[in-house]
Amino acid sequence: MPKVYVTGLGFITSIGNDRVEVTRSLREMRHGMVVYPPFQRPDLPVKVAAPVRGFSVESTDPEDWTFPAGYRIKREVLRGLGPNSLYAYCAMIQAIADAKLSEQEISNQQTGLYAASAGSPGLLYRLLTQMHAQGVMRCPPLGIVAAIAGTVQFNLVAHFKIKGASTGFSSACASSSHAMGFAYDEIALGRQSRMFVVGAEDGNYETIAPFAGMRALSLSTDPETASRPFDIARDGFVGTGGGVVLVLESEDEVARRGVAPYCEVAGWGQASDGHNVAISHPEGDGLRRAMELALTYSKLEAAEVDYVNAHATSTPIGDVSEVKALRAVFGARAAQTAVSSTKALTGHGLSLAGAMESAFCALAIKDGFMPGSAHITRVDPECEGIHILRTTSDAQPHVVLNNSSGFGGANVCVVLRRA
Amino acid sequence: MEDSVANRGPAPTKEEAAPKPFTPEDEVALREALKRCSPATVEAAVTYRRVRDTAQLPTIVIGVIERYVESELRPKLREGDDELRLVEDLGVDSLTMMEIVMLVEETIQVQTNNDELRGLRTVGDVKTFIDCKVKGLPIPKPAKFIPLEQIASVMPVQPPFLFVSEAQVGAHSAQGKYKLTGQEFFLQGHFKNNPILPASIMLEALGQLAVLFLIEGSLGEEGKAVDTSKIFFTSCEGVRCHRMCRPGDVLTLFVKPKRVKSPFATFEGSIRVGQEKAAVVEEMTLAFAYAEAVAQPAAVADKPGSVAPVLTPSSETAAPPLAAAVRA
Repeated sequence: MPKVYVTGLGFITSIGNDRVEVTRSLREMRHGMVVYPPFQRPDLPVKVAAPVRGFSVESTDPEDWTFPAGYRIKREVLRGLGPNSLYAYCAMIQAIADAKLSEQEISNQQTGLYAASAGSPGLLYRLLTQMHAQGVMRCPPLGIVAAIAGTVQFNLVAHFKIKGASTGFSSACASSSHAMGFAYDEIALGRQSRMFVVGAEDGNYETIAPFAGMRALSLSTDPETASRPFDIARDGFVGTGGGVVLVLESEDEVARRGVAPYCEVAGWGQASDGHNVAISHPEGDGLRRAMELALTYSKLEAAEVDYVNAHATSTPIGDVSEVKALRAVFGARAAQTAVSSTKALTGHGLSLAGAMESAFCALAIKDGFMPGSAHITRVDPECEGIHILRTTSDAQPHVVLNNSSGFGGANVCVVLRRA
Repeated sequence: MEDSVANRGPAPTKEEAAPKPFTPEDEVALREALKRCSPATVEAAVTYRRVRDTAQLPTIVIGVIERYVESELRPKLREGDDELRLVEDLGVDSLTMMEIVMLVEETIQVQTNNDELRGLRTVGDVKTFIDCKVKGLPIPKPAKFIPLEQIASVMPVQPPFLFVSEAQVGAHSAQGKYKLTGQEFFLQGHFKNNPILPASIMLEALGQLAVLFLIEGSLGEEGKAVDTSKIFFTSCEGVRCHRMCRPGDVLTLFVKPKRVKSPFATFEGSIRVGQEKAAVVEEMTLAFAYAEAVAQPAAVADKPGSVAPVLTPSSETAAPPLAAAVRA
């Protein structure tokens, strides 16, 4: 089977809108949380979020939107985008430049795109409201394209003239890790030689606030500490949005093009809890098996893993079940394997999370660091025996796991290795 | 609105049902909806809504189309050419067309059906469509596509002297194509070792398309068919050739009637190759007769009774020295 490498990255995130800024934020543990204006209403007890900077996408009319200088997007493209696709579009432009891909290398039968997004609930709400109020024939013709769950791949595949495999993944917070895993398979099985992996979320009132109803969000009013995975006082996650793109390529393509990859994708694994629609398995059963399968597939021992980018979202139940899964996989070795959750810095990106954190891991391997798990005042005693990295380490990890878990008890583990 | 052939159909049967009063709130909403249109468009729309002045419609329609066209292409629209094609010339796809129509509908308060939109091909089609909608006139039928076999079966002229190989005939114009293969017999001698389409043949091709328009188009005189054996060339004025046409060129022919009243039909015409103008004819007049009306055309046909070429060699005298002009 051909090896698969990460050769390009693009970032629109709460901690930076390009690779350099994101790397600095990760190394220096700078977070992206703010007291989020749309949340300052009496009926919503949640006050903090981690919005993307440099974009204004509040208007119902995309032609009113503003985005950072340097991105020129035609009206006919913009009209079909939701905020998530706009972020992904910008991240895609970065990733293409980063991987030094020509137009022909993007648009051919050997290059595909897998994406993950939950759609654009805010747009869908406005669309249906308009439909009810003004009649079905008065809805914007591309409202559906912009709003439904496949919007990110619809737009990117069409506008970047992707001709290979394309689809979207919908496993909530595991979605873009599923996209990453199956994109790996496309190349490993020889069906494609290059895949774009895209995760994107609006990260606005309509995508984040509904999680308040299930009591999953932090009620902290302090942006400095609201997201604090593994801390004893953690009280829920902080929502974020953005778009991240990874370019995966076969070893032949990497050799032919003579590019220096960030890292190798060594393999992946997935398993389901079979337990609860929204609550993680108390022992982290599915996540444990996902990690074991990923390691077995990658022909690696747990002892070879240097760093785990945990799914840990800063919820009381979720973080502990992941700790139990880690303990089961690493055994005595758990005290040496560094674990951190970058969600302390970025917030939880839902469908964006897996791709975003795999991209962080790629940066960590390439640049030689392991980002610390921020905002911990006192580690939860439940995490005993786990080496939670409290500050950024300058050691270069050789083998990295990236965990993701989604609704329904879906768990994915992606293995990255130094190239 | 232009004096179009099909609009001579039934007169407006009724005034619009008493329009709802145009409130200050409506004006605010209208100005908001048109906020990306030119100020002239907004004012035309406000005037229209206040007093239902249909003279404002072309400004409104052009203004709305302009708003949806990429800025580089907008100067084309300002030239006022009704033959600008929405797709090919302005980059308007079917979704943008829907956006244009929805904004026009909202602006002038009309409703349209999907199937009514399919035939709209040019800026002129959109203007005519909206004009008919507002005035309660029947919507002209969309241009119909006529393939070569059908052209050959209805035309009095036949290969090797048929220079229209496909056509679209609408209510107000016709467009045709002809690919210069290089095998045309006259290219052997025009010119020696240098095949260039004679300008006389350019005029012939336009004449043939005009004949097809008379045969296939709806002339507005109910139930009357044109006698295909009684269409002849009469005159031609204002001919200018701009570009030489050589083997491999695909000629896009275009004719549009200026006046059609038996026994004469006068057209303007043009030929393009790609986006390049090849020839323009300000006026070309054909004589014709309806099938039942057996009256001889009063026109001076060069060879009365002859069926084939609508453009006979002697008619070249009506035009400038053609070959020379082409070479210029």
